[in-house]
Amino acid sequence: MNKNWIRKLIGGLCLTSVAFVFQACYGPQQDFGDDLLIEGQVKSKTSGLPIKGIKVSVEDKIQYANTDENGKFSFYIEKLQNAKIKFTDVDSTQNIWFSNKDTLVTIKDSILMSKESKVYLNIELENK
Amino acid sequence: MITMLKQALFRKFKKNETKYHELNYLFWECTTRCNLNCRHCGSDCSKDSFYKDMPLDDFLKALDTIESPSENFIVALTGGEPLLRKDIELCGREIRKRGMRWGMVSNGYLYDSEKHISLLNAGLGALTISVDGLESSHNWLRNNDKSFERVDIAIGLAASSSRLNFDVVTCVNKRNFHELEEIQKYLIRKGVKAWRLFTIVPIGRAKEDDDMFLTNNQFTKLMDFISESRTRKDIDVKFSCEGFVGRYESKVRDLNFFCRAGINIGSVLIDGSISACPNIDRTFAQGNIYKDNFYTIWQTKYELFRNRSWTKTGKCAECKDYKNCLGSGFHNWHGDRKNVLVCHNERIEKYM
Repeated sequence: MNKNWIRKLIGGLCLTSVAFVFQACYGPQQDFGDDLLIEGQVKSKTSGLPIKGIKVSVEDKIQYANTDENGKFSFYIEKLQNAKIKFTDVDSTQNIWFSNKDTLVTIKDSILMSKESKVYLNIELENK
Repeated sequence: MITMLKQALFRKFKKNETKYHELNYLFWECTTRCNLNCRHCGSDCSKDSFYKDMPLDDFLKALDTIESPSENFIVALTGGEPLLRKDIELCGREIRKRGMRWGMVSNGYLYDSEKHISLLNAGLGALTISVDGLESSHNWLRNNDKSFERVDIAIGLAASSSRLNFDVVTCVNKRNFHELEEIQKYLIRKGVKAWRLFTIVPIGRAKEDDDMFLTNNQFTKLMDFISESRTRKDIDVKFSCEGFVGRYESKVRDLNFFCRAGINIGSVLIDGSISACPNIDRTFAQGNIYKDNFYTIWQTKYELFRNRSWTKTGKCAECKDYKNCLGSGFHNWHGDRKNVLVCHNERIEKYM
């Protein structure tokens, strides 16, 4: 703590606000962006078994992930206060046909403020 | 007077940073395989690398030795071409699991829409892509006729993401020097917000090729171009941290020159060597993750990086700017270490 205080004081005295922001000659910049880890599991409401191959996406965003053999999914997105997460059965009848589902997730301020923000969703889909 | 005071304060800042040497930035040379055969490659990379890709678990063992990573700590994946690794997303996710951030340097050739999404999903936060000219000069340097077409797609995707801290780097050489204005316009059209320019050091494949190196006149004009471009609001243009540029110091970057290699920047190289930036002469390696504890090496070694007095030799011995420069970028010391490879300040002063 003391060490950082001294560093910041001297950095500040250098009359620059960017003393601690740098990148190596040809490396990427540092990452000060905020993001949110969305993870969870999708199961059949009827059987309780995990469902593979469900497309999980965020409305108006290009990112998506597909559930694995355990029905699990996980991806980072830009931090949002509210996110509509869409669950879509993209393989149709290949492993039973499930109804699509949209879930509106409101992220609590305490989660948004934390350095490593994440939410976990347990989702059940009904057979079509 | 104010300039001298600012320089003195900045020297104090550098001294203090050197004393504390907090590890903020770790390169991981995760592969030396490459899908291109660039004329300027400092690593002499090729499709069939002598080294196999470093197994992820080996790197993670080294990463896990870091006690309390610093607040802004980032792992920078580099190569070779990192996208040739099939497990690149897994690498990123494992880094994020440890509460750390990760970024990547890529030539963009394999960066398509699908890859863009999978990398963002894996928590990619910073990305640098190389654009070395308009189509003809880029393809010439990259030695590949489709390279520009592919990188054009890549930068369009990367620039569209508000999550990514994305910038473009350009190696300025004799062939693309006259295109800088046009490259800048092109990047602005593509939505790129940050552009970093650097020159080529005579190492690796580049050293025998005269087309790679700017004349003193061109180098000084490059400084003028960057200086003028920094008044623009639509793109942040800067010179890389490759060396001290004397009278242009406050005009071409956000911060005065400070080579942080071995002070805030470390690396794990393809063979397990522990060093700083990957373009630094490999004889400066401080240890090896296969026999040493990475973080112990970081904390206890790196003497030549943290005390640069040994660089006061050759043309640096009598230089009046030495105290602000400290021997230029560390990557400028190769071979017998008797003289700096490139002195940017000297090039400028010879032209003036």
